[in-house]
Amino acid sequence: MSRNEIAWKEQPKFPSTHFVDTRIYTDNQIFREEQEKIFNKCWIIGCHESELPNAFDYRTFHHPGGAQLFMIRGEDMKVRAFYNICPHRGNTLLYDPVGNAKRITCIFHAWSFSPKGECTDIPRGKEGYQERYGCKDASLREVKSEVGYGGFVWVNVDDDSCTLKEYIGDALGMMEENLSMPLEVFTYHKAIVNTNYKLWHDTNSEFYHDYMHYFNRITGMMQPGYFDRKYKGYPNGHASVGSMAIKYDAYAGSQERAVGWPGLAPGGWVLIDLFPGMTFNLRTSVLRMDTAIPLGPDKLIIEFRGLGLKSDTPEQRAERVRDHNTIWGPFGRNLHEDLLGVHGQGLAMRERSDSKWVLHGREENSTIHDEVGMRHFYAEWGKRMGRQASDPFSDNKLA
Amino acid sequence: MTPKQLIDELIYRSSLAMDSKDFTGFLDLCDPAFRYAITAYIPEIRKEITWLEHDKDGMKVLFDNLPRHNSDHSSLTRHVTVYTVEQDEAKQQAKTISALQVFKTTLDGGVTELFAVGKIYDTISMNGGNPKLLDRNVRLDTRMLGIGFHIPL
Ligand code: FES
Ligand SMILES: [Fe+2]
Repeated sequence: MSRNEIAWKEQPKFPSTHFVDTRIYTDNQIFREEQEKIFNKCWIIGCHESELPNAFDYRTFHHPGGAQLFMIRGEDMKVRAFYNICPHRGNTLLYDPVGNAKRITCIFHAWSFSPKGECTDIPRGKEGYQERYGCKDASLREVKSEVGYGGFVWVNVDDDSCTLKEYIGDALGMMEENLSMPLEVFTYHKAIVNTNYKLWHDTNSEFYHDYMHYFNRITGMMQPGYFDRKYKGYPNGHASVGSMAIKYDAYAGSQERAVGWPGLAPGGWVLIDLFPGMTFNLRTSVLRMDTAIPLGPDKLIIEFRGLGLKSDTPEQRAERVRDHNTIWGPFGRNLHEDLLGVHGQGLAMRERSDSKWVLHGREENSTIHDEVGMRHFYAEWGKRMGRQASDPFSDNKLA
Repeated sequence: MTPKQLIDELIYRSSLAMDSKDFTGFLDLCDPAFRYAITAYIPEIRKEITWLEHDKDGMKVLFDNLPRHNSDHSSLTRHVTVYTVEQDEAKQQAKTISALQVFKTTLDGGVTELFAVGKIYDTISMNGGNPKLLDRNVRLDTRMLGIGFHIPL
């Protein structure tokens, strides 16, 4: 029998950890709070060190908490991060996403700054400000940054945050060996999707949706070992999924995979989800890294990076590029399906669409189709938000 | 028809075939040694990228697999203008540069939006008056491609 309105809104027959209220995906107040309590407190990947190979190279970044940042390598080769905003009249300092600047000069009134964030020149400063204001008052706002875990540049806009090491804990342990050599970003693209960032992270945190991917249905799910992979949760909301071999020749058009990855069994796969929206996905010959950057409750930028080894020969690199883009490029088989999924969720779950619950109730001993990865995320989310994901406004009268 | 007209017509027919999802028709316009690629320059990482790369057999597999995938079923409309044609008599080949705009029209309501812009670099084998596509490089300026697409441009 189909359900009437009362039945539709009835609490799912699960513990409250096993479902969420869909207002967490649509409510603007919740989104603002997430920016404050989550994104402005957590370590976030801003870029990769290979995007800043030389002294004075910079890269801009739209931080999910809202701040516009840039990361720049100093003369001392140390990477630092700053607000991309001029202290004078609030202009954008660096307009291009990437570049090289020994000296950062604002185009508006030519105030200049060093790659260490010091103000080095205020044109006609003495004449206008006399002794009242000078370069010493006008440095840039620096944001904590660290390079690590495969050479990524991490930023944290909270001056009082824990260290990156404390934040990650053991979560990247499964990939430690795989990330121990110099890596290089070989592809980068962004997608804007009208959906909530958590829905993307959820998709990266559950493999039950392999039913959506023809490729995965025939190459992965049918193979022995698929259902042995286990989820493991770590402090701070991170989670990992263990390895398995993928049978590539089950899909016509997939050739023998020759280029592997150090420390990864041939055909192996390791996936690590980091709270609140980053995913390390290492498959066969490619490391894919997603960064979810919400622009609102129903708008999301996802940054996609594909990485190989810095030591790659041109032939090895070409194969990694092929492996990546056949599956995960904008014309790849799986990425389009994954994005179609969260796009559809964004259409269905909107304010006034009378959506109510999303279920995270599968229990299969933490193996691959168990929804424990998502539950683990929402436990952390609830802790940081001071709200229960299943009852974010304390008005659901949960049993 | 002059060789130039034959070349123009081949390029336009290839777009018509793709617009109407006549993939067999498209492959019929290709030389057995055909190679297809979608490429772009990515300024954020200062690198060239090849988003898609196939030989003729690979294109056929891609087309044959389309119904098995979950895809956005919007239709694409390609607007192509052949800008330059350079013929190499000795090689019996021609190289062309065409402008490309691709529009996407949604199934629901039929809204049309610009999907991508770029250029098409073709190498054509003249094949004794029956020219065929030998190499196609769809070089995109657009890099923000939304939820992506399963069908090549
Ligand atoms: S706004 Fe930057 S120098 Fe005036
Ligand atoms: Fe997926």
